[in-house]
Amino acid sequence: MTLTPLLEPNWMRAILPEIVLSLSGIALILIDAFFPRIRPYLSQLTVLALLGTGFAVMRAPGGTYFGATWEISGLTLLFDLLFVGATLLATLFSREYLSREGLEGAEYYALLLWGTVGMMMMAKGLDLLVVILGLEMLSICLFVLIGAHRKIAISNEASLKYFLMGAFATGFILYGTALMYGMTGSTSLTQIGQWFRGTDQAGPLLTIAVVLVMGGIGFKLALVPFHGWAPDVYQGAPTPVTAWLSTAPKAATLVALVRIWHGLSGGPEPAAWGGLVATLAVLSMVVGNLVAIAQRDLKRMLAYSGIAHVGTMMIAIYVLRPESVAAITIYAFTYTLMNIGAFGVVSLLRKSQNDPQTLDDVAGLGFRHPFHGLALAVCMISLAGVPPTAGFIAKFYLFKVAIEAGATWIALVGILASIVSVYYYLRVVYYLYMKEGDELAVEPDRGVFSTAALAIAIIGIFVIGIFPTPLFRGALEAATLVLRVP
Amino acid sequence: MENLLSIVLWLPFAGAIVLMAFPRRAEGAVKITALIVSLATFGLSLAILGKFRTGTAGLQLGETLQWIPDWGIRYALGVDGISLWLVLLTALLTPIVLLSSWYSIHRWPKEYAIAMLALEFGMLGAFLAVDLILFYVFFELMLIPMYLIIGVWGGANRIYAAIKFFIFTIAGSLLMLLGILYLGWLHIQQTGVPSFAIADLYGLTIPMKQQVVLFFAFALAFAIKVPLFPLHTWLPDAHVEAPTGGSIILAGVLLKLGTYGFVRFVLPLFPDATAEWAWLFGLLGVIGIVYGALVAWVQPDMKKLVAYSSVSHLGFCVLGIFAMTGASMTGSILQSINHGISTGALFLLVGVIYDRRHTRLMSDFGGLAKTMPVYATLFVVTALSSVGLPGLNGFVGEFLILAGSFRTMPRLTIVATTGVILAAIYLLWLVQRVFWGPITNEENRNLPDIRWNELAAMLPLVVLMVWIGLWPNAFIRRIEPSVQQLLTIVSRGGEQRMILAGPAAAPPAPADREAQTRSNGAAR
Repeated sequence: MTLTPLLEPNWMRAILPEIVLSLSGIALILIDAFFPRIRPYLSQLTVLALLGTGFAVMRAPGGTYFGATWEISGLTLLFDLLFVGATLLATLFSREYLSREGLEGAEYYALLLWGTVGMMMMAKGLDLLVVILGLEMLSICLFVLIGAHRKIAISNEASLKYFLMGAFATGFILYGTALMYGMTGSTSLTQIGQWFRGTDQAGPLLTIAVVLVMGGIGFKLALVPFHGWAPDVYQGAPTPVTAWLSTAPKAATLVALVRIWHGLSGGPEPAAWGGLVATLAVLSMVVGNLVAIAQRDLKRMLAYSGIAHVGTMMIAIYVLRPESVAAITIYAFTYTLMNIGAFGVVSLLRKSQNDPQTLDDVAGLGFRHPFHGLALAVCMISLAGVPPTAGFIAKFYLFKVAIEAGATWIALVGILASIVSVYYYLRVVYYLYMKEGDELAVEPDRGVFSTAALAIAIIGIFVIGIFPTPLFRGALEAATLVLRVP
Repeated sequence: MENLLSIVLWLPFAGAIVLMAFPRRAEGAVKITALIVSLATFGLSLAILGKFRTGTAGLQLGETLQWIPDWGIRYALGVDGISLWLVLLTALLTPIVLLSSWYSIHRWPKEYAIAMLALEFGMLGAFLAVDLILFYVFFELMLIPMYLIIGVWGGANRIYAAIKFFIFTIAGSLLMLLGILYLGWLHIQQTGVPSFAIADLYGLTIPMKQQVVLFFAFALAFAIKVPLFPLHTWLPDAHVEAPTGGSIILAGVLLKLGTYGFVRFVLPLFPDATAEWAWLFGLLGVIGIVYGALVAWVQPDMKKLVAYSSVSHLGFCVLGIFAMTGASMTGSILQSINHGISTGALFLLVGVIYDRRHTRLMSDFGGLAKTMPVYATLFVVTALSSVGLPGLNGFVGEFLILAGSFRTMPRLTIVATTGVILAAIYLLWLVQRVFWGPITNEENRNLPDIRWNELAAMLPLVVLMVWIGLWPNAFIRRIEPSVQQLLTIVSRGGEQRMILAGPAAAPPAPADREAQTRSNGAAR
């Protein structure tokens, strides 16, 4: 490994999005401290910073940087946009939530921005260490954000839980990486991949390494049986943070997983450890959907539904190939839109964070507040995978890929699990439109920011649902590049 | 009018969008606009009939646009003898439903009208689509408005009924989706290009083992929709709880998607599996006929009685389809229309007295013919049409089915015939208990007769009952060529199976072909 040409020309522009985000975060904190008069406009500034980042993302030159540890390609571009978009939506929902809960402060927004940097690093890292650094950066931001409600016990509990679990998970991944380094002599995913292509022996050490890495990633993705933290953390975290943490970090982890798995399998073939992935996928889909039925708390229900959705995306890892990476991309976009939309409506309900947000709180919302009701209904219908929403297209394409890869059985499991999921998603629609709310019914906040965010989510769900071709083509082209064998 | 089908399809959708902009207080304007939109849709659907070339078997007025080209999904519409009358029936029933519920929907009338128009959009799309994915999209799309119609405007136990309806239907259709995806994959393997166009998929050679699995994946979805015994349990619940308009559409159109699906997809796509398993569906159809009739017989609730009579009547349709003769299949398609008209009308009429008395128990009525003479006349005509009295529409359909089925399934047909007798028993018994005899219940003495909107809704249906009964040829002539063509496709599949089953030729051929296409795919 040579150390000399560490800085390629253009390297500044390549990490410009990360630079913009990091500096904006610092600037927000300084503004909060020194210019109290600008304080009410923190969320607007955050939005501006994110728009600037989006611009920088679009202009980043493709290629590999920093001694082939950092990749900018079509795929990272798409996922960067996803992270920025998710953070943007979360910011838009945060404004009303924070002012209602009295939590306003620059650090909240700054942490969102820095967390986004972490996700970008995870998606771009070609080296396990870069991925782990990104993961840590993201996790630390999340520990604080989840506990942002300092005076509320469940928020503290959630933060502590996520911290302990997250620390363990990172430890697992690091230990696995160390073992892998011991075997292959490198932490670069490309070189690990080459090593695998050159050998056909898999010793017990390697198995331990893979299991450790998968276990750590399973924690981060909240896959069954590593999902225990998810419902409590989702419930305890400030709702816009939940919206954010349930979507974008999962997408980032999945991109990293695609790279790792690609390196391990030595080409777009079903992996040797496919059984492990398939087990995680099936368990998550089945357990997630079945347990979600029993939930009356909306955030806990969405937590279990999220477990099931990530399990569904794991099908694509199981049959890893360019098409399945495209499937993950479409699914991740879709899932981000519909899940943030759903959590967004929950975050707008004028109810203390300390009390559970149950199904009863949205009873009759569909007729009292048609727009909010419609938004939640559309998100639910999309989560259930009913056409013409994006949820249908995402599932459709994922199962299509699975069948084309010859894994019809796992698609069948996915379909059966979706049938179960229809029940609890529809139950929300039933509460929205078929139940009368009483006088104590919770009213939603209705500000410009949140309305815009909901509109983006609804429109996005229908646009992907009806015209998926551009996203699909971009994702497939990018995926083919990422999965090429050097 | 190049895009006549698209115009008919999208008009209700546009209407629904426009209605969303109406203020909630403008109830009258909402109702009138919805009615105008649905009437215009019906008028344009008559233009489809005008342009339809009788005697042509293939798809007509076709339109094709690329939708998701990479996956081979097209926005492709077309109409042939199999779907023509179903499209017209859908377009006819929607204004009738809106008219009949003019005064009976008190809560959220605007949303009700929007849901009805959205439902019409979904139903028309499903009948017009000639791309399997497009069909699937519409097939599922219509579940949501129907779910809301049952769940929001339904009776006491509406939630249970709505969720049961949704889960049953989506469970079947999701499994079918898996089958659709598998078909698409087979098409890529065999031709190298992705396509979900029905005509392309008809040309696939599917090995027998897969064919049976796919056959059941599809058949399950449509059997739930029909509904075929023993998957019918959602239907009585949905019917009893749905508002009158919902019941009319459910019985009149939604159930027809099941029989339509069998004819359009299951039979021609999986001819060998159909040949092998037709007996099972014929048998289930006949069980449905007898079982539905017997259960209808003992119902004290009029709406439940009509709901079970639906199970019985649709059993005839299924028998006719799986008997696979020209006459029986034509009869099945015609009977689908007849059932839509007669049973739709019966639900409408039951709704009329329910609005007045808020009960549907037969024992609460008696002697209504004296207080509501016009209503009684309409009811008797409709009941007789449903029974299958010669001269009215029901007779033509049932006669064709029974006469056609006797050739291929004689024993089942004999049992099925009892269904006609049983139908006469339970429906005439209903008429006798509700309309004849002395007025036993004082509350019935001053019931107002049928209202203008109900009469306006009923008249076209009664006219059609007589028209089809006396002059069925106008309808049959347009159905028959398509049915004949379909039967050729189905029988060609049967012959292929004979060849494949032959000792020498069969096993290596498909495998070779698979390997070849795979290597082709890799080369690309």
